[in-house]
Amino acid sequence: MGSTLLTAQHRQTLVNVVYAAFPHRTFPRGPYERAADAVIDQAGKDPRFLAQLMQGLTDLDAQRDVPFAELDADVAAAVLRGADGTPFLTAIVDSVVVTLYSDPEVWELLGYEGPSFDKGGYLHRGFDDLDWLPDPRIEHEEEMTA
Amino acid sequence: MTRFEYDDSDVVVVVGSGAGGGTVANELCQRGFKTVVLEAGPHLTGEDYHQDEWPAFGQMAWSDPRTTSGSWQVATDFPGLPAWLVKAVGGTTTHWAGACPRFKAHEFAARSTYGDLDGASLLDWPIALSELAPYYDKAEIKMGVTHRHGRPPLPANNNYKVFANGAEKLGYRYYSTGPYATNAEPYDGRPASIQDGFNFQGDKNGSKWSTLVAELPKAEKTGNLDLRPDSHVAQIEHDATGRATGVLYVDRNGTLRRQRAAVVCVAGNSIETPRLLLLSGSAQHPDGLANSSGQVGRNYMRHTTGTVWGQFDKPVKMWRGETMAGVIADESRLDTDRGFVGGYYMETISLGPAFLAKFIAPGRWGEPVTELLDGYRNTAGMWIIGEDMPRADNRVSLSGETVDQHGLPVANVHFDDHPNDVAMRRHGQRQGAAVYNAVGAQKTIETPPYPSTHNLGTCRMSQRPRDGVVDRFGRAHDVPNLFISDGSVFTTGAAANPTLTIVALATRQAEYIATELHKTLT
Ligand SMILES: Cc1cc2nc3c(=O)[nH]c(=O)nc-3n(C[C@H](O)[C@H](O)[C@H](O)COP(=O)(O)OP(=O)(O)OC[C@H]3O[C@@H](n4cnc5c(N)ncnc54)[C@H](O)[C@@H]3O)c2cc1C
Repeated sequence: MGSTLLTAQHRQTLVNVVYAAFPHRTFPRGPYERAADAVIDQAGKDPRFLAQLMQGLTDLDAQRDVPFAELDADVAAAVLRGADGTPFLTAIVDSVVVTLYSDPEVWELLGYEGPSFDKGGYLHRGFDDLDWLPDPRIEHEEEMTA
Repeated sequence: MTRFEYDDSDVVVVVGSGAGGGTVANELCQRGFKTVVLEAGPHLTGEDYHQDEWPAFGQMAWSDPRTTSGSWQVATDFPGLPAWLVKAVGGTTTHWAGACPRFKAHEFAARSTYGDLDGASLLDWPIALSELAPYYDKAEIKMGVTHRHGRPPLPANNNYKVFANGAEKLGYRYYSTGPYATNAEPYDGRPASIQDGFNFQGDKNGSKWSTLVAELPKAEKTGNLDLRPDSHVAQIEHDATGRATGVLYVDRNGTLRRQRAAVVCVAGNSIETPRLLLLSGSAQHPDGLANSSGQVGRNYMRHTTGTVWGQFDKPVKMWRGETMAGVIADESRLDTDRGFVGGYYMETISLGPAFLAKFIAPGRWGEPVTELLDGYRNTAGMWIIGEDMPRADNRVSLSGETVDQHGLPVANVHFDDHPNDVAMRRHGQRQGAAVYNAVGAQKTIETPPYPSTHNLGTCRMSQRPRDGVVDRFGRAHDVPNLFISDGSVFTTGAAANPTLTIVALATRQAEYIATELHKTLT
């Protein structure tokens, strides 16, 4: 669970940081919120990271006249680039790159179908359904002699 | 389940249950020898596996600490994870894909063929292809390799269709869906592939050859196998005459045990094998066991690798089907006019969004990453794998400070790319992009090397004891009843994926050990 020290404002900013770091225009907010909550859970187990997280989020909010969450996407991205390589942002990116792209809703948005064993694999569900190229041969006759 | 006594000094102890260890154990069990396999990891089976990349990785991968040094990009991108290996019964054959090319004749004579390259420690193998050929046959039959010995090829999946059409357009001739150690039809009591796309995650279906589903169950049936999972070998012991007498290992309860042995075979993969030898130093072997040459841990190789992704304006769905059932062999030829020595293969590869996002540009974020992921459905992938140059200073050594959960110093993996590796990678990535461009890619993306999946050479085979660690049968030059049974013995790496050769060598080694043991035990 998250720490009581982290405010709703922190979380709000964090969700926007996650979006600014991995901006998919077609994604709804849910996956970003889940990814942010995973970062918060992680910080709950690591006091040093929690401290860095609170400081980093507070700093981001102070970069412009309005809080980070209210910045245009382009400006938010530029502000975030200023934090590239800091332990704060590196830890967020390392966590989010795993949780965001392991989220079944994201898989669906990207067109990925996920686990398949229980459905009998893709043997009868299109493992070879690509039809915009001719069917290639699968063997070559002579062995390479080189 | 067979159990042998701790002080039974007639048993063969095998350290590690992967490609090398599982094979040598089964071959010895079949010949009637009492065999104890000590495996550091747990005994997972098909039902346990997850079809979800990170949970699967967390469940299976070797995640005990390791450290890195050197100028290779892996040390920057994955400093605590130099290698992608499994710690479980079956070893990395539970993660492996199944690509099974043989070495070519000249690749056993790399020093003679390529000459004396600056900054490389090339050496000829003490054996020739002709000596290994019968064991390649045995290994292919054992593993049910497609395209060989009457085994049918796997069909083309979507990723292969893009790859093969590109190859054809580019004028390549040697493209096919194998050889590949996964059943296209039922074989050896295991079912045909259902093309589920998760063989990097253990292959729940059991269509892929692994020591978990093939060698170890067969060995078990003989009644000669005592398989002990969760057993981490900490030291190999020897007597005053210089013979190995057994091993010390930490069992699942954290208790240190001694298992005596007539013969010890080490197959912990090319990082853990030299680590164990280095940890087994004594007054008689001050620099580590079997290390009078100073070569233990040196000449570490990992293949020159890289990945090329092609993105199209139409769907590919590369995740459907066998991950690596596609190979272009044209660039594996002997041709030193390309600006480098050695050859390379191109092989299809697929990653899910979770691994792709992590590996496509490690540590990077922002639109360059999300744009690639947005094109996921329309992405095709290939892996470049070629011969890298052994270097004396590319080596596995004991870390000065970091220890594992048992208090044992961990392995440090040091690697600097040889200029030949860099030139080959560049060539491979250019050719890979050309393959995809030939069939209309809108964009191609190059991904830097992953943590090493092929780890080789750290106890190399040599004719002369001063040049390497083991002889032509994998027997330690310094310790007559100590054998190395994994890819550590590779004198040079060749272009081919290594596992078929590891299995062939282990099969040949078991035959030799059996002959030798008959003399002493009977
Ligand atoms: C994702 C992936 C894909 C791959 N695809 C291919 C492919 O298509 N073709 C190919 O040829 N190869 C492939 N490989 C490589 C292949 O898996 C290895 O070459 C092969 O498994 C190496 O066999 P090994 O016996 O040396 O070691 P491993 O199979 O790694 O087995 C070593 C075992 O020893 C155990 N061990 C280590 N130290 C100790 C100790 N001190 N005490 C007890 N036990 C110990 C480990 O836990 C492990 O189980 C792939 C690898 C990966 C990761």
